Amino acid sequence: MSEVTIIGGGITGVALAYELAKRGYEVTVLERRFIGSGSTFRCGTGIRQQFGDEANIQVMKRSVELWKKYSEDFGFPFTQSGYLFLLYSEEEIEDFKNNIKLQNKFGVPTRLITPEEAKEIVPLLNIEDVLAASWNPTDGKADPFKATMAFAREAKELGAKIYEYTEVKDIVVENGEIKGVKTNKGFFSTGTVVNATNAWAKLINAMAEVPITIPIEPYKHQAIITQPMKSGQINPMVISFKHRDAYLTQTAHGGIVGGVGLEEHGYDLTPTYEFLKEVTKQFIQIIPALKDLRILRVWAGFYAKTPDSNPAIGRINEIDEYYIVAGFSGHGFMMAPVVAEGVADLITKGKTNLPFWWYDPYRFERGELRSKAIQMG
Amino acid sequence: MRLTEHPILNFQERRGKKVTIYFEGQPIEAYEGETIVMALHAAGIRVLAHTFQKDRPRGLFCAIGKCASCLMTVNGIPNVRTCITLVEDGMQITKQKAKPKLPTTAKPPKWKDPEKIDADIVIIGGGPAGLMAAIYASDAGAKVALLDENPMLGGQLVKQTHKFFGKREQFAGVRGVKIADILEEEVKKRENIKVFLETSAIALLQEDDTKLVVGVRKNKELVEFRGKAVIVATGAMERMIPFENNDLPGIYGAGAIQTLMNTYGVKPGDRVLIIGAGNVGLILAYQLIQAGVEVKAIVEALPKIGGYFVHAAKVRRLGVPILTRHTILRAEGKEKVERAIVAQIDENWKPIPGTEKVFEVDVIALAVGLRPSIELLHQVGCQIKYAPELGGHVVIRDKRLETTIKGIFVAGDSAGIEEATTAMLEGKIAGIAAALSAGIASPEWLKEIEKAQKELDEFRSGPFGRKVLKGLEKVVVE
Repeated sequence: MSEVTIIGGGITGVALAYELAKRGYEVTVLERRFIGSGSTFRCGTGIRQQFGDEANIQVMKRSVELWKKYSEDFGFPFTQSGYLFLLYSEEEIEDFKNNIKLQNKFGVPTRLITPEEAKEIVPLLNIEDVLAASWNPTDGKADPFKATMAFAREAKELGAKIYEYTEVKDIVVENGEIKGVKTNKGFFSTGTVVNATNAWAKLINAMAEVPITIPIEPYKHQAIITQPMKSGQINPMVISFKHRDAYLTQTAHGGIVGGVGLEEHGYDLTPTYEFLKEVTKQFIQIIPALKDLRILRVWAGFYAKTPDSNPAIGRINEIDEYYIVAGFSGHGFMMAPVVAEGVADLITKGKTNLPFWWYDPYRFERGELRSKAIQMG
Repeated sequence: MRLTEHPILNFQERRGKKVTIYFEGQPIEAYEGETIVMALHAAGIRVLAHTFQKDRPRGLFCAIGKCASCLMTVNGIPNVRTCITLVEDGMQITKQKAKPKLPTTAKPPKWKDPEKIDADIVIIGGGPAGLMAAIYASDAGAKVALLDENPMLGGQLVKQTHKFFGKREQFAGVRGVKIADILEEEVKKRENIKVFLETSAIALLQEDDTKLVVGVRKNKELVEFRGKAVIVATGAMERMIPFENNDLPGIYGAGAIQTLMNTYGVKPGDRVLIIGAGNVGLILAYQLIQAGVEVKAIVEALPKIGGYFVHAAKVRRLGVPILTRHTILRAEGKEKVERAIVAQIDENWKPIPGTEKVFEVDVIALAVGLRPSIELLHQVGCQIKYAPELGGHVVIRDKRLETTIKGIFVAGDSAGIEEATTAMLEGKIAGIAAALSAGIASPEWLKEIEKAQKELDEFRSGPFGRKVLKGLEKVVVE
């Protein structure tokens, strides 16, 4: 008997297991394959506070604090190397000016810089048509492999149980009360279930017969990595909406990791030639010198998207106790530490100080969609 | 140093116009038609790079574009495979000692839409299997696109100076180099075969019923090949064995040494130690002696020689000792091989102390086997199985060499390590079978498939075929 059973062993699931174990809870994580194999290990590594609404800015500000703390405590790479949004039109600049004002209000030190200043930060940039850039040096990136494994290790250290290759087949609910979870490895009896399966959330919700509509759909997003080049040439995450929502940065090893926004609805993860061509075409416009580097690998992962690109986080009142923590729309990795902290508080104390009301899972049912979260890739 | 006289080959005739290339700023004489690394080797340059982490020198290893040992910066472009890139007058070549730093002044290039080539059958690899596949697919009525990342057709045939065994129709008594010429002539005669050299296949994809092969020509141009069927005849890659300093320049795959001396007429070194007494090791010893290179010994870990008796006898007659139950312990040398330390091994494969022998050599040839190049087949999703008798992981296929994906065929060493003779027969089968599967060949061609299958069975019926047959049992399905 476990007090809390988390379904999904991505970074959200294992970070939440850590937070709950730290609060003295008996926690079990059930992962269908291996830790991180769903979408975490396929992610673009970026962590940013440059959002366009108050909730996400505050939440991500706290997340960055936690990334910093846990990377130091647990010993995994996290660098505050910044996010650089390249802006190509007056309209874009106006939008970003408003965002910057909002970000500054909550203490995120974003500022508008000139193309020349941008080129100083990333000397490889082609600034030919760039009019300005939005720059926040406190955004960053982390190693998804090391970070996830660190959270899993620390969770286990505190007594959390993590079962890999354990696929949930059904959730047993009697009179509105959770009794346990059926898996291919047997029955796990539990009183509380957290659905942290992101792209697969709708399947788990169906098993629990969640009575409200929480529209979370899987979309294939692809990424590439190039041959390594000398470190330090592209430190920040570089974003260009003009180039099909492109994002790219350099990993610690030296390869360029990134992608463009070319999504496909459904559960297929086959990389496509169309993407390979598109990413090549767009990246060499942003950083022309990349034309001489070979792409080593292309792969795909899921964005679990909601209609407003904000996650669904909260308790489902009709089922005692069922929580949904999914639908991150491409932001699951960067949000994981703060989501884990907030959801752990929700479960243990019934509330959190963070503005998680923004992610209310009932908002879809009520027709109260949020303003769309800034999203790329 | 370049070879001028050779009992079988005439390099003077083959060499193109003299050009000048620059290595670290120093001018070097080269000939059109040769690859960068061959010209460097001829000029005595063995060290091509230094590793990024530990600063260890790197030299040539496979010489056919399959490994990363010869990557250099060419005209400012990093990580160029200098073993399959042809020299051009004025080329600037530099060693890589660190991960490359890219230029900050580069201008965004114009995006050119890829060239589109439509064929009935796309064949990847122009070695014995690919060439035969092209010839028979074409004769069966198919329009063929044949691509190879090397600058010449023939695959590994172009460096085989020995005469082949088998039947007359399998080119018995003909030297491999000559077979390559004959097959190339046959390909050129056929107007429905289009050949693309210096073109790497980087991806194999399915678009509904069509197969797409993404090619990159001369390191820069994207070419899309589309066909109803694809034959993967990508050959094999040389194996490496573990011993101290096995990464020193001068430690070459056996095939690389053949490429140096038999394809480009470049002397690989002065004194050679060969590891492995299979057919490749034995033939290599003989070819080295033909090229005027001293062979100090052949070292073999097994208690007996693996290759054909006739080859071993020939090598022994020339005074080359074959040390069975011996292994190489380490290579020594500062920037390149200066000597090799060899020892006898006991029945547990452990070196026996006190039996060490020192060979003063500047080249160590590794003839320790090959593994099939299955990368594209793996990437597209063909089912793979481990069959050590065939050299490692290979694809599951039927008797007509069709893989678990309809319309994707395999032939030659990429289907399992065997010989050029069997590669040619498999190429023939795959070529016809692909034309049948594309709905082009008439059913009479089935007879030709049966004939080739019979020839294959006969060729494999000898003692050397036993291992291969055991491997095939694991991977050939109905």
